[in-house]
Amino acid sequence: MTLTALLASVLEQSTPILLAALAAMITLRANILNVAVEGMMLAAAFTAIAVGGWSGSALQGFLAAIVVAILFSQLLALLTLRFSADFIVAGLGINLLAAGGTLFILERYYNSPGGLRPIAFPEIWHIPVGSLSRIPVIGPAFEDQSIIVLIAILAVPLSYVFLYHTPLGSNLRAAGEDEHAARSAGIRIERMKALSLAISGLLAGLAGAQLAMDKLHFFLPDMTSGRGFIGLAATLFGGGLPWMTTAAAVLFGFFGALGDRLQVFAIPSQFVLMLPYLAAILGLTFARWRIHLRNRPAKVTDESA
Amino acid sequence: MTDRDIILSLGGIAKSFGEKPALVHVNLDVARGEVHVICGENGAGKSTLMNILAGIHQPSAGSLVLNGRTVTIADPIAASRLGIGMVHQHFTLVPSMTVAENIFLGRQPRRFAILSDGQAMVERAAELIARYNFRLDPEAPVRTLSVGQRQRVEILKALAFDAELLILDEPTAVLTPPEVDELIGVVDGLRSKGRTVLFITHKLREVKAVSDRVTVIRHGRSVSTHRTADVTEADIARDMVGRDVFLVGRKSGGMRVIGDAVLALDRVTMTNHAGRRLLDRVSFEVRAGEVFGIAGVDGNGQTELAEAVAGLMPVQAGTIRFGERDMTVASVPARQAAGLGYVPEDRLDRGLSVTMSVAENVAAANYGRAGLVRNGLVSQSRLATFADDKIREFDVRGAQPATPAGWLSGGNMQKLVIARELERQPSLLLICQPTRGLDIGASEFVYKRILDAADRGAGVLLISSELSEIFALSDRIGVMYSGRLMGVLDRADADEGRVGVLMNGGAEQAA
Amino acid sequence: MTASLLDVLRAIRAPVAAILLTLAIGFLLVASITDEPVRAYRDLLFANFDSLSNFALFLNRATPLTLIALGVVFAFRAGIFNVGGEGQLYAGAITTTVIGIAGASMPAIVLFPLALLGGIAAGAVVGWVPGVLKVRLAVDEVVTTLMLNIIVLLITSWLANQVIRDTTAYGAVSWMVPETIWLPPMPLVPRATSGFLVAVVLAFASWVVLFRTRWGAEVRAAGTNLRFAEATGVPAARRVITAMVVAGGLAGLAGSLYVLGVGHRFEQNFSPAYGLVGLTCALLARTHPIGALATALFYAMMLNGAAYMQISTDVPRSLVNLLTGLLVLLMTARLVRAARHA
Repeated sequence: MTLTALLASVLEQSTPILLAALAAMITLRANILNVAVEGMMLAAAFTAIAVGGWSGSALQGFLAAIVVAILFSQLLALLTLRFSADFIVAGLGINLLAAGGTLFILERYYNSPGGLRPIAFPEIWHIPVGSLSRIPVIGPAFEDQSIIVLIAILAVPLSYVFLYHTPLGSNLRAAGEDEHAARSAGIRIERMKALSLAISGLLAGLAGAQLAMDKLHFFLPDMTSGRGFIGLAATLFGGGLPWMTTAAAVLFGFFGALGDRLQVFAIPSQFVLMLPYLAAILGLTFARWRIHLRNRPAKVTDESA
Repeated sequence: MTDRDIILSLGGIAKSFGEKPALVHVNLDVARGEVHVICGENGAGKSTLMNILAGIHQPSAGSLVLNGRTVTIADPIAASRLGIGMVHQHFTLVPSMTVAENIFLGRQPRRFAILSDGQAMVERAAELIARYNFRLDPEAPVRTLSVGQRQRVEILKALAFDAELLILDEPTAVLTPPEVDELIGVVDGLRSKGRTVLFITHKLREVKAVSDRVTVIRHGRSVSTHRTADVTEADIARDMVGRDVFLVGRKSGGMRVIGDAVLALDRVTMTNHAGRRLLDRVSFEVRAGEVFGIAGVDGNGQTELAEAVAGLMPVQAGTIRFGERDMTVASVPARQAAGLGYVPEDRLDRGLSVTMSVAENVAAANYGRAGLVRNGLVSQSRLATFADDKIREFDVRGAQPATPAGWLSGGNMQKLVIARELERQPSLLLICQPTRGLDIGASEFVYKRILDAADRGAGVLLISSELSEIFALSDRIGVMYSGRLMGVLDRADADEGRVGVLMNGGAEQAA
Repeated sequence: MTASLLDVLRAIRAPVAAILLTLAIGFLLVASITDEPVRAYRDLLFANFDSLSNFALFLNRATPLTLIALGVVFAFRAGIFNVGGEGQLYAGAITTTVIGIAGASMPAIVLFPLALLGGIAAGAVVGWVPGVLKVRLAVDEVVTTLMLNIIVLLITSWLANQVIRDTTAYGAVSWMVPETIWLPPMPLVPRATSGFLVAVVLAFASWVVLFRTRWGAEVRAAGTNLRFAEATGVPAARRVITAMVVAGGLAGLAGSLYVLGVGHRFEQNFSPAYGLVGLTCALLARTHPIGALATALFYAMMLNGAAYMQISTDVPRSLVNLLTGLLVLLMTARLVRAARHA
């Protein structure tokens, strides 16, 4: 396998994970553990195929996917912020609702519980083959990647600038880190959390659209297959910091790309797939352990003094 | 003084929470450009008064005149718009953000409409810092700052938006003595820049050091206003405490038999992660039948002392003995078995589970001794009877055995905790801040129980930041300051002057 | 008497409202699909009792739900938000299967307890890890239990696909465990697993342990206020960890009993999100053991009823997945808007 092919494969595998990770990161900074990324992605993937296939317009499918994911995020915001539902329970409820809802629509309206496969599906814009061939190694890897891959790459610096270099981002972080301080500065906590969920929905919608529209052009129940949770794991491993989170997401995407190939070396793919989750647990444990060590009382040396 | 010089004038402010009056009648005039101290004991109503000025509470009665206009302060935002800046005891800073970001949180300067103008923010913060000579790095994250530095950031936050009147609520409660001195310098600087400062405290030394005038509040009333230069610390103390406080006290003192030590600490030392000594070589004994009072300003090691004796925090050096037995590393149940009863300083924190029933709260740690377990199961009838007995014996009002403890009032919760801890007839009763937040009736009840326990032969270690309480109950008084036991006085030799000096870190005069 | 009844009603008002609201939304959906909404709904809720075999399947469905819900109850009472039921369930099921297959030559009297205890122990270990990390290092247990779910599922997927896979069967299923260690059916209900009786007994036992023993009082004290528990001499950290071990053990038992009593082998997809539904049942019951039994029965009724509904009308059975999502979503919401920060 050439370096270019590996790079292309990593880009492809990483993009939904990276978008999911950023989606989880933006809520984590508002102090919300967003377990609903998976469900929002799934709903978006389904919408992309359903609307794209029905309208024959890739753009419409793409936009509809994002809108649906944002609507799901705002449903979560409504129930948690307005009706004080628990974030975890309601988030998992969103996942079930997305899984159950898409399956229900498949069975009821498409009569095909196995999935949704429009006969003709419009292509979303891809970087033309051959257009970047002058850039060695990297150029060809980007060829034939969808526009969403580019958006994902752009989303990293954008989310960094948003969090650290806009007043809104500061307010959001303040609301997440210290509600008391934020409130006394006149920041509306609930509004910031709803905003973070909306951005999260936008990013999860992009992730879902990429999964369905990039190459596959069909929808399968459970086609997200845990990528939302891998994204969450990447965010936790990256400590909610944009660059670290991105690095973790790309690393996990790299393992995913490597996963199939590793079976050659008799390493079952399940163990490769496990790495993100193990990394998240170990990363968190290690971070807490260091804090634990730091907070230990100092030894008394001069007892007689 | 003409009206024009008065920035703030309160007339007959009153405030009740339910049945309980927190403020009865407060009059106060604050002159422009002065540092005015509001002084009073814990529970006198200082915090309520400040919360009214900050817009957190609304007064039940009375008038509030600011700059010659009668105003109502609906909420904290309104207060800030009126030019009132409040620095709370609990900081409102975001730890991961820089000093500049914190100062401008919620109202950052912008660039291109949506971006933060970080440079302008830092420059303006630096300008503010320079103007008040605060010695802070505007780009340092707040989490790297000391408590004293954080407080200055908090003050800057208020000043950044042109607060004319700055309220500092117990600003020294969290500071170490050198930091207190620095803060006093800061306040002097504010005055020289023409700001008006309202400074809340119950520490006499600070009153003299910082203020132009002082208003004393007692039991929700403003009792006096003086020019600070005209009065002594003793005068202020008299106003703060009033005379009636000394009337509560022990009458049975002479009849008690003082026995052997039930608790002995020998050079007990506790450190934090940075190596600072929270307890520094504390040694003393509590003998059977006596009340040993620990006086001191909050945060000088009393909490750590209690946790060390109760077995809830490990000590790094020294020994703790109950009678003859070394209990330095013993578990809580072992200490209970050796005779410890522990009433913690915060009943909601360590004292109770508010969602569990009254019966289960009072039975905790007593299941075995009270014979509540039969064949491995908790006998419901015995539990109910046991709880009923305690409710009656300790006059816990509004309680059924099945009532969640959180439904009770503070005083009744406290009675519940005391009922549980006295059930075991402890030979050592460790009781902390026993009447915090309690009304007079409940306080008297608690005092009586403490004295009864001592009469019965228990050694009582009483930790309180209420001096009046310490004087009323103790046979001997130890004073803590900055983790050290500054001295131990017999009740007969102790007076407020001597204890006050020790509480502020002064050495005992060789007299 | 009436006062206590009112108390009970007040306590269950919110979950009952969530259930009723969900059922109402479901009814509207059903009515939009079929001409016979009432019939469809009757089947959804009551077709379980039409025949003895339906009833048996209903009990089989209720068994794992009850046990997982009980596990969640123990964890929540100890103050741990245990989202790890699914992982603990799978750990129990796969361990029992592996022991059953590996020890096929052993006499049943040895193998049966070994397989059962192995399953319980595996679930317990998966519960212990987040418990210890939470208590000792304050690692967020929601994260660890969520992540452990996926890790355990991947391990079982590897075992079921590559190690103990029944190569003669379709899909990721293991070889059968020996018939000698199959759980006997329930008396009177031939096709039902006697595991259900275990679940019922354990529901009542859990209530006794939590509310009528000193240990239970200590667990609840630690769960409601850890610092209070410490101050009254309760070894609070140990109680919390033990409660998580019990929680994992119960979910592990659920997996073990499923293999021994119903599936007789490990199937990678045997759980329709039992972990999450069990969590839902426990929360709907306000973490009360007997209540959890009741909500688990209700839920088993719905899960199986959906299949009957699909047969008799043209309502897709996935309606119940949709309703589950709605129910979970609505469950912890307060219909009365919560008071703003006081």
